[in-house]
Parts: sequence; structure tokens; C-alpha cells
Amino acid sequence: MEEYKKINKDKKRVNTFSFGKKIIFGLIPFLALTGMIIFLLSPTGHNLISSGIPLPEITFEKIEFEDDIIVAYIRNTGPEEVTISQADVNDRIHAAAIEPSSILSRLSTAKVIIPFSWNPAEPYEIGITVDDGTRFSKIAEAAAPAPKPNIEKVSLFAIIGIYVGIIPVMIGMLWFPFIRRLKIGTYKFFLSITVGLLVFLGIEALLEANDISTTNLAEVLGGQMLIILITIISFILLSYIANKLINRSETNIKDNKKKKNFDSMKENTNEEEFIHKSTQERDQSSSSYLSTSDNTISSVIPTKDMLLKPLALSLMISVGIGLHNLGEGLAIGSAILLGEVALSTFLIIGFTIHNTTEGLAIVAPLSKGGKLRIRKLMIFGLIAGGPTIIGAWIGGFIYSPIATVIFLSIGAGAIFQVAYSIFTWLSGYSGNKNIFTDKSITLGFIVGMSIMYVTGLLL
Amino acid sequence: MLRYVLIVILIIPSFYCLVLISDKSFKPIFLNYAFAQSEDIKKTFGGYLPGYKAKDTTGDVLDPMLQVISLENAPIDPEKYLREFNYGRVSVNSNGTITREFTIIASDHQMKEISPGIYYNLWTFNGTSPGPTIRATEGDIVKIKFINNGSKFHTIHFHGIHQAKMDGVFEGIGPGGTYTYEFIAEPYGVFPYHCHIQPLEEHISHGLYGVYIVDPKNPREPADEMIMVMNGFDTDFDTENNFYAVNSIPYYYMHHPIQIKQDQLIRIYLVNMLEFDPINNFHLHANMYYLYRSGTLPNPDEYTDMVTMSQAERGILEFTYKFPGKYMFHAHKTEFAEKGWMGVFLVTEGDTDQFTNTNIIDQNINNSLSTNEKIQNQNLNQVNMNIGVEN
Repeated sequence: MEEYKKINKDKKRVNTFSFGKKIIFGLIPFLALTGMIIFLLSPTGHNLISSGIPLPEITFEKIEFEDDIIVAYIRNTGPEEVTISQADVNDRIHAAAIEPSSILSRLSTAKVIIPFSWNPAEPYEIGITVDDGTRFSKIAEAAAPAPKPNIEKVSLFAIIGIYVGIIPVMIGMLWFPFIRRLKIGTYKFFLSITVGLLVFLGIEALLEANDISTTNLAEVLGGQMLIILITIISFILLSYIANKLINRSETNIKDNKKKKNFDSMKENTNEEEFIHKSTQERDQSSSSYLSTSDNTISSVIPTKDMLLKPLALSLMISVGIGLHNLGEGLAIGSAILLGEVALSTFLIIGFTIHNTTEGLAIVAPLSKGGKLRIRKLMIFGLIAGGPTIIGAWIGGFIYSPIATVIFLSIGAGAIFQVAYSIFTWLSGYSGNKNIFTDKSITLGFIVGMSIMYVTGLLL
Repeated sequence: MLRYVLIVILIIPSFYCLVLISDKSFKPIFLNYAFAQSEDIKKTFGGYLPGYKAKDTTGDVLDPMLQVISLENAPIDPEKYLREFNYGRVSVNSNGTITREFTIIASDHQMKEISPGIYYNLWTFNGTSPGPTIRATEGDIVKIKFINNGSKFHTIHFHGIHQAKMDGVFEGIGPGGTYTYEFIAEPYGVFPYHCHIQPLEEHISHGLYGVYIVDPKNPREPADEMIMVMNGFDTDFDTENNFYAVNSIPYYYMHHPIQIKQDQLIRIYLVNMLEFDPINNFHLHANMYYLYRSGTLPNPDEYTDMVTMSQAERGILEFTYKFPGKYMFHAHKTEFAEKGWMGVFLVTEGDTDQFTNTNIIDQNINNSLSTNEKIQNQNLNQVNMNIGVEN
């Protein structure tokens, strides 16, 4: 009893701290930390811990070729302020200007402008020498004029974006009628192909981001950790949004259900419903020789309220693929910008084939339900494919390696999130068992990855 | 649902904008004083070479071909070095021979601006690289008091004919040590001198070298004489030179053309001290020169506008310009030329200057005493200064 009282007393004492005291206790560690940092920055502390000579480091982020001018974008990625003293092209000193200033504070950037009559498609090594005589350089593989955002170029990039992003996705969507006629087992197989495709795309985006971060980003920016960080954030955030989206659509169904029941008789048969009806009729007629009607997807769960969840899933897939395609667009745009001219034509053909599979991924969950609006499919196609255009513009006109790395990582996170969602969706079909006990899912996953690898060889 | 789609579509560009802003080191102007300072002043750069238009910039200009470094912290004053010969403290011995005494102090810890904005730890003889040009006449006794004011072992190794212990190879002089090199100036010709401590490459490439001229007893024809040492600097220590020059400062004679007179005999004592690169060369524009390899024989070896030399090779070049104007001279290894090894002769009309022959002893004594005393004083000051610093 005594002890209990004592404990209670202590508890009270802790709880009755005033607000001011709480703030003070919260601030004490901060003050201690500040004190320590001030000490370390003071000459005494500095002498105590610093040893050796800090070496300068400069990273070239971008080299652009304009009319009789070469422009290099550099960043001071060393530990201290640095002064840029000279510039050279192919290791030969040239007159140049540096903007805004030849003095670069830590992590700041500058633009080095070198008047130089360069020849198209030839490699150039751009170098700068800092005040202690250290030279840093970077090679541009093939000089090509930097695309300027005029109407011609903007529309060219838009056309490339449409060819690479939107059209292949739409072509892929043409698999919709094929998929909805499949047996459940085959359907699961195709859906897991999608997962395979997505996982492959995600890993590919990560590798691409890693490549850029190691070649174009300074170590000091922590490129590789940045990729992991952003991928995880993107995954978690999109999972959150996806759950909200699905919950919302489900509550909407419940609210609208009663109302819809009354209205359904009055509603005119609109276009979509007409299509829906006609396809259902066709399904029934064709299913007779494809399969027994009980096993056809469209006839298994035909109710409308169950259609919204696949719609939400398809939307999430579209958004995920859209984010991924933004990264692809950046890659294409910057390939043109960085002077890898031959590669960009090849990239476009490769991506076109590659991206057709993305359309398949979007329509795969939808084929489970009966009703489908063409307009919705078009929107999904645009969400998935449209960012390619935006990406191509950004990559082509204002390429920035760090932005590319960030977008590829977001895309990777989005793709993994979508893959995860489909897996959960599939596990519902498999009776919540371990999905890899299902033969068609396992096989589909492997086939999906392999398809991507093979089409990826075209890139 | 459409709302979510819109949000996603809006997020993409706005996020990119955020990234761009953070990426381009976006800074409020009031924080970046350098930016604020340089913004108002528009500078022009380039444009002096055919085919290149002048351009404006709000930033800083990086152009060693036009920018002049402050001579206070330069490896050398190329204008002065070009025509400065040191004859030493001269005394006439009882047997009629002449003794020339010099003091040379080695140093290895001076940060010098070798090209605009580029600093390099230069190792020097008497505070400069190349060191002072030592000049004597064949048969003179040359005495060089060597003081090592550096932190490493150093020596002076003279090319020419002398005794083994005067060769500056096995008798390394430690920090603070002194040594007196003494030999008879022979044969006549032009020679390099340099430190001979290993790693030799390091000691030479850091700047420990100079020129030693021995005039023939039978004096050469009077001429406008100059010394040119072809050298270079490896500022990032990758065993490749970053800068090339004659007389240490890249492009110096481009923005400070060497003034010469039409029809005046020009004599260049040319020495190649370039480290790392196997060869170096000298090409003269719109003219030909008589080349006396090593300057040791009375007759020229060649009449040419191109001579290629490896390290420590040297020669005497004699020519006159027929027409006034600007004429380039440079390494015809264009890489070297485009990293600083180029210059210009500005040939003007008018009476040729009267150059007296340096072999006249009396005049020699008078001239050299004054210049050498100066150097001596400088050296003493430097020694005192350094001692003061060390104490």
C-alpha cells in the first residue's frame, strides 16, 4: 500500500510538470547539441578533430553544345569552397567564362561557357582546373546541338512521347477482349505475367537510377541511398493513397446501391452498357466452345459493385506505370540531349515494344468485371502513357541527373506498389493461400519477367 | 476518382519544379554575395581569335591568354628574366684570370601563381624558376656558394666540364647546409644547371633549374640576346604537364610581346628543361634561324625554323627579322602551344639598338657588380626573413 502510494506520487510529480518545464526539458538536448557543434566549429575544436588536407572535388552534371559554344554545368562536391581558374576542351586551354562566379561554395553549381567551334558527333573532353592545379574533366561522347524548346522540338518530343508511351499502352489494351474470355486459371496466369513485368520494370528503373547516380552524381549527394529512400517513400505513400482510393470506392458503392436500384430501371441504355451487353452476349455465345460458361471470368462475378475495386486497381497500375514512364521519357529526352543520337532511335523502338505489355497490365484486373467504359480505358491509357511526353520534354530541355534519379526512384516505388497490390488481389483468388502454391501464378510471374528481359534486349 | 487523377497529374510537375529549384542551387541573392557582386558588371571574353565572336558574361572570365598574373607572386618576371645575365662578383686574379662568385639559395616551399588563379608549390633557386642565368667567359673561375634553405636535400649539378666533387650529385646538401662549387668555365656554350637529388623527376619538375652560359674567348657578334627556358608544370601530379611555357609563365609573351628591331641580330639561348614529355620544340614564324646545337662550336649546325629537343638539350638561335610586324614563336607540338607555350615577337622599324658585346671585361665588371650586389642583398634579405620565420 505504501509503495503503491509512493509510485502514484511519482507519477503525479511527472505528470504535473508545467508546460514551460516540458519545453525546457525538450530543449536541453538541443542546447547541448548546439554547444557541441559550436565547439567543434571553433578554432580549438577544429584543430582537435581536423586532420589532413581536404581535396577539392568537382562533378560535371551536364555538357551542352550550342552554336560555337560549349556549356558545362559543374558542381562543387568537395568539402570546401573552391575557385575555378581555367577551362579546357580536349585538354587544351581555352578562353571561357564562368557564371555566376568562379568561386564555388560547397555544393553550389556554376555554368562554364567555352566559345568553341565544335564538330557534330565528335567526342569532346571538357576540363576545368581549380586553384590548386587539380584538373577535373568529363567526356561528352558525341557532340550534338542541345535541343531548344521551339514549337518544332516540343512537338517532336511530344510525338516521340506518343509513340513510345501512349500508343503502345493503347495497343496493349487491345488484349482486353482476349483476357476477359479466359478461364480463371489462365486469367491468373496473365495477371501474374503483369506482376512479373512490373517487378522487372521496377528493378530496371532502380538499376538505371543507380547508373545515373554513380556516373553523373557526386558521392556527396548520396545518390544510392537517395534511390532507396525515395523508392520506399513512394511505395508507402502510394500504398496509402491506394487504400484510401479503394475504401472510398467501396463506401461509395454502399451509399449508391439503394439509389441505383431505384434508378436502374429508368436509366437509358447508354453506349457503354450497350457494349457491355453485346459483349456479354457474345461471351455467352463464344464461351460455349472456349469453356464452360461457369468458368469464364465475365460470368463469374458480374455484379457492378465488385467492378469498382478492379477499376481502382487499374487506376493505381496506370498511375504507377505513368510515373515509371515519366522516368522512361526522361531517359529518352536526355539520350537525345546527351548526344547519344544513335541510341535514341533504338531506345524509341525498344520502348515501344516494351511498353505494349504495360497496356496488358492495366486491363488485366478490369477483365474480371463485366462493365467497362471505353472513355475510362482511354483515360487510364493517358495516365499511363502521357507522362512519357512530359518526361521527354523535361529530359530533353532541362535535363538534371538528380531529378532523373528521383523520378526513376518514384517510378520504381510506384511499380513495386502496384505489383504488391496485384499480388494481394491475386491472393484473394487463391483463397488467401500462399500465392506461389498456385501453378499458374508462379508460371505467369516467371514468363512476365522473361518477356521483359527479351524485349529489353532490344533497347 | 477524377479528383485523385487530377491530384496525381498535378503532383508530377510540381514535384519536378521542387527538385529543379533544389537542384540548381537556388539561392536568395542576398545570401550569395559573389553572385550579387558580379551581376552588375558585364564582362566581355574571347573574340580576339579569328572565327570567335566576343561574348558577354555576368560571371567571371577565365582566360590565361589575356589575363595577366601579378608578378609579385609569379614564378619569375619573364620580362626581366628574358635579358638578364648575371656575371657574378668579379675579381681579377694575380695571373690575370677572372673569378666570378655567385650565391644561389634553394627553396622548396613557395606557393606561386603559375597561371592566372593556379597555385603551385614551386621549388626555386634564388626565389625564381628558372633560377638566375649565370654567365662567364671561357677560362674564368666560377665559384658558386650554394645555400640550401629548403626542407629537403638539394644540390646544383652544372653541365660542362669539371671535377667529380663539383658535379653536385653525390654530395647532397641537407636543409640549412652550404657548399661551394668551383670550376673553370669550359667549354664555351650554353648549359643547364639543376638539382640532382632523387627523385630527380620531382626536383626538376618542381622548378630547380637554370641556365649557365659560357662565352667564347673570341666574343660572338653583338646581338640582342635573350634566354628562353622551355618548361612546364604538372599541377595535379599525374606525371603529365598541365601547363607549358617559355620562362615559366604560360602565354606571357602573348600578352607581353617581345619587342625587337627590324634587321637587328637576335640571339636566343634556348634550353629545354621540360619534364615528363620526351620532347619539346621551338618554331619561329616567317623566318629562319641559324642553330648552334649546345653553342659549343663556331659554325651553325642548321638553318631552320624548327628545332626539337629532349630534356636538357639546348642551343643558340640566331636570326634577324626582315619585315616589321607581329610574329609568333611556339612549340610545334601543338598540345604544348595550346597549353601556354606560345609567344609573339613584335618587330618594329627604326634604328637598331647598339648592343655591346658582353665579353669586354671592364664593362663587364661595372655592370655585373651592380646587378649582382642587388641579388646578393636580396638573397641575404631572404635568408634573414626565412630565419626570422623559423625562429
